[in-house]
Amino acid sequence: MAIPILFVLSVFLGIFAYTTLVERKALGRIQNRFGPNRVGRWGILQPIADGLKLLIKEDIVPRRADQFVHFLAPVIAVIPSILLFSVVPVGTRLVPVDLNIGILFAFAVSTVSVLALFMGGWASRNKFSLLGAMRAVAQVVSYEVPMVLAAVAVVMAVGSLSTLRIARAQSGGILNVTNWFVFRPWGFVGFVLFTIGAMAESARTPFDIPEAESEIIAGYHTEYSGFKFALFQMGEYLASIAMAGITVTMFLGGYNGPGSGPGWVGGLISMFWFFIKLAFMIVLNIWIRGTWPRVRVDQLLGFAWKVLLPMSIANIVAVGMWHYLTFRPLAWVATTLWLVLWFVTLSKLAATENVAPRTYRYAS
Amino acid sequence: MVARDRLEQLRGKFGSAIQRVDLPGDSRLFVFVEPSVVKNICQYIFRDLDARYVISIGIDDRPFSGNFMVAHNFAFDEDHLLCSVLTYLPSNNPKIDSISDVVPAANWAEREMRDLVGIEPVGHRYLKRLVLPDGWPEGEHPLRKDFSWDHVPKEFNDEREFTFDEPPEGCTVVPFGPFHPTLDEPAHFRLYVEGEMVRGCEYRGFMAHRGIEKMAESVLGYNDIPMLAERICGICGCVHSVAYVQAVESAVALKPPPRAEYIRTIMLEIERLHSHLLWVGLACHIVGFDTLFMQSFRIREPIMWIAEKISGNRKTYALCVIGGVRWDITPVLKSELRQVLDKLEAEWREVVAAVSKDKNIQKRTVGVGLTNRDLVKNAGLVGPVARAAGVDIDCRRDHPYAAYDRVEFDVITAGGGDVWSRLLVRMSEVFESIRIIRQCLERMDDGPLQSPVDGELPVGRMGLSSVEAPRGESHHFVITGENNRPRRWRVRAPTYQNLQAVPMMIKDQQIADMTISLGSIDPCFSCTDRLETIDLRSGATRVWSQRELLELARAKEVRR
Repeated sequence: MAIPILFVLSVFLGIFAYTTLVERKALGRIQNRFGPNRVGRWGILQPIADGLKLLIKEDIVPRRADQFVHFLAPVIAVIPSILLFSVVPVGTRLVPVDLNIGILFAFAVSTVSVLALFMGGWASRNKFSLLGAMRAVAQVVSYEVPMVLAAVAVVMAVGSLSTLRIARAQSGGILNVTNWFVFRPWGFVGFVLFTIGAMAESARTPFDIPEAESEIIAGYHTEYSGFKFALFQMGEYLASIAMAGITVTMFLGGYNGPGSGPGWVGGLISMFWFFIKLAFMIVLNIWIRGTWPRVRVDQLLGFAWKVLLPMSIANIVAVGMWHYLTFRPLAWVATTLWLVLWFVTLSKLAATENVAPRTYRYAS
Repeated sequence: MVARDRLEQLRGKFGSAIQRVDLPGDSRLFVFVEPSVVKNICQYIFRDLDARYVISIGIDDRPFSGNFMVAHNFAFDEDHLLCSVLTYLPSNNPKIDSISDVVPAANWAEREMRDLVGIEPVGHRYLKRLVLPDGWPEGEHPLRKDFSWDHVPKEFNDEREFTFDEPPEGCTVVPFGPFHPTLDEPAHFRLYVEGEMVRGCEYRGFMAHRGIEKMAESVLGYNDIPMLAERICGICGCVHSVAYVQAVESAVALKPPPRAEYIRTIMLEIERLHSHLLWVGLACHIVGFDTLFMQSFRIREPIMWIAEKISGNRKTYALCVIGGVRWDITPVLKSELRQVLDKLEAEWREVVAAVSKDKNIQKRTVGVGLTNRDLVKNAGLVGPVARAAGVDIDCRRDHPYAAYDRVEFDVITAGGGDVWSRLLVRMSEVFESIRIIRQCLERMDDGPLQSPVDGELPVGRMGLSSVEAPRGESHHFVITGENNRPRRWRVRAPTYQNLQAVPMMIKDQQIADMTISLGSIDPCFSCTDRLETIDLRSGATRVWSQRELLELARAKEVRR
């Protein structure tokens, strides 16, 4: 048991540290800046410097805050994100813990972090924190539903909740590539839904509404400083990396790629493919962050309930059709048509629908 | 002679109440009336003659005429006429009928008059202090002539906090400012919030009032003031400097040489360019689109460099003196400026193409921060905010100054009245500015930079000047005086009017739209506030009071 724990802590925390650097560098280039370049060559030591700085910074707790909950929140924010990695298979038969309910475990654990955000916002006794926390809860709860339903499609197709078996189900085909679920109509839709949901759940731009700087200062972590702030950031990054790992496992073929397989060599190659795909997902996140403005909270929730949710339900039906139509060409045509029809209808509806303004009881 | 026609209309209606008339040209009109008809005449001008309200000014004229004075300024934009309705008030217990129920835009101006000069607007519905802090003693009015510029009343309690209105039932108060990541300057909005909806707000500002007008009226000389005036604002400084100089010039009928007028025009348009580029960047930052924010800053930078080459400074150009300008635009600078403009135009076209097609930015800005023609009229909104609501006003065309009567340009308007329309208006105005500068560079003839000023400027003359700042009309009012300095100088920055409409614009919107709505008027609090206070600074072990900090600063001063 010690080896998987050490593995998760060392490898993924390392990836977290350097994701921050890569993100700042890449955003810098997108935004016509240099990004960090002072600490070490290409700023390579920047994450270490940041960590040290945050460790020795003064820890400020508001006088009227709920001291205990205020302390507990950042801890709770980080732990579930680390636990998530325990079910991500990084190579052939290489998974820290092979739970037979891996996917279920991942969702159960990732939901806990929303508690931390609300605890932080509530305990800070700051209205901006509270607004941020309320937004975070609304957002995570809304996006969890289409995300889980997108995962249900995969689970239905594989017939197992184990992440390892889901990855294994995508091996074979030409060069170990063509059987990836993303190359199925339902898998592609599921991939898009899941990626959007994962991004929203880890509150990254354009979904960084719980901490929208220009609106509510820093949202739920307005009143956090020093290492507690770093823990919140860490939880957020780790969650988004872990979700990227689960996306890779469920849709991008996991560790499968040309040359991957059992044995020493195949195992090493499979790890290589997994981390390449993980890097791709992380860079995709950064890219989207650099090129999209933030949406507004009601638009965001509307998108989740009005577009993503019906689409994910349609996707489940599509998997059912795929399962029962054993003649493959027919299955391809039928599921594609079905999904395109839904997509067109939903995007039309979302564009035209106009909701009357809400009325409130008080304060006319 | 439109000015004369307007005067005849006023005479026909209020013949006997008009005491004296001053008609210095076809574009300025000063009407002295009895105090009792001020409200009626303002109503007539504002409602029946459909003039635009500009500003109200309280003046302590006791050392000269023995009376207080009040001026209400209006603009007839289609007739190219600026009009001032003046009245004398007795020196003891000055009172005047409030015009704010017929001209809602006068709300702030009358409160400021009450705070600073002590003229009581009778019938004003909301007589809360505007400029003075709540700890300031009653009966002390800083802009009165018997109040020394460096005097601080003994009873002034700088620890006292603001008293606020009660929020409506069922609403939570969310304080917005004075410190907030997207507010570059201090202002305090107390938002009444229900869930995520804003139901109203109370504004407390003027935290950065620097007493600039008092300083000018009591310490500085005519040619020092332009340097102070451009420090009113960190972005549109040149506007204030030009507006002040023009107000004085119009008061004493001095005409600057044509080359100076062209140079003023060029510098004003350079300022508009960098201000609008900055604003588009900031707007993108507010909606969370930092990439375009950075790109606008990159595009803007060459403008700052060329301004530095012309004047020696990126900002605060120190350009104007009475009767002319101080910097020349040499042939070398001309060709460099042309190159900068060509590059800017090409790059800006790309940005405009990208932004105007972006669905996400539209989603955040269409239908947000709504204004309409009524609000523009009643709150006296100016600049891109008014033009985005389809109100076609632009001082450059309506009240031409400098060389604007000799160049061609379009006034950009849009119909939506929302943040999106303001974005479109500002983005297109950049191209008009480029066009104006190019024409100026072409038509500028050689000649002197300054008109000679012989001896003292005449005393007791009044001058008005409106300059179209990037944010809207900046209006200056000057009465010339003794000792080489004006008796009264009043600055009305565009944000002064635009800010008054923000509570109306953000009502019943999401709290998330608050910043972009406020940002969309391109607020400039230092222009609006014109004082200086230092807020409490809390250290970990010790709280510095304002007094301690001030003493610290003074001690340092002495040591040096």
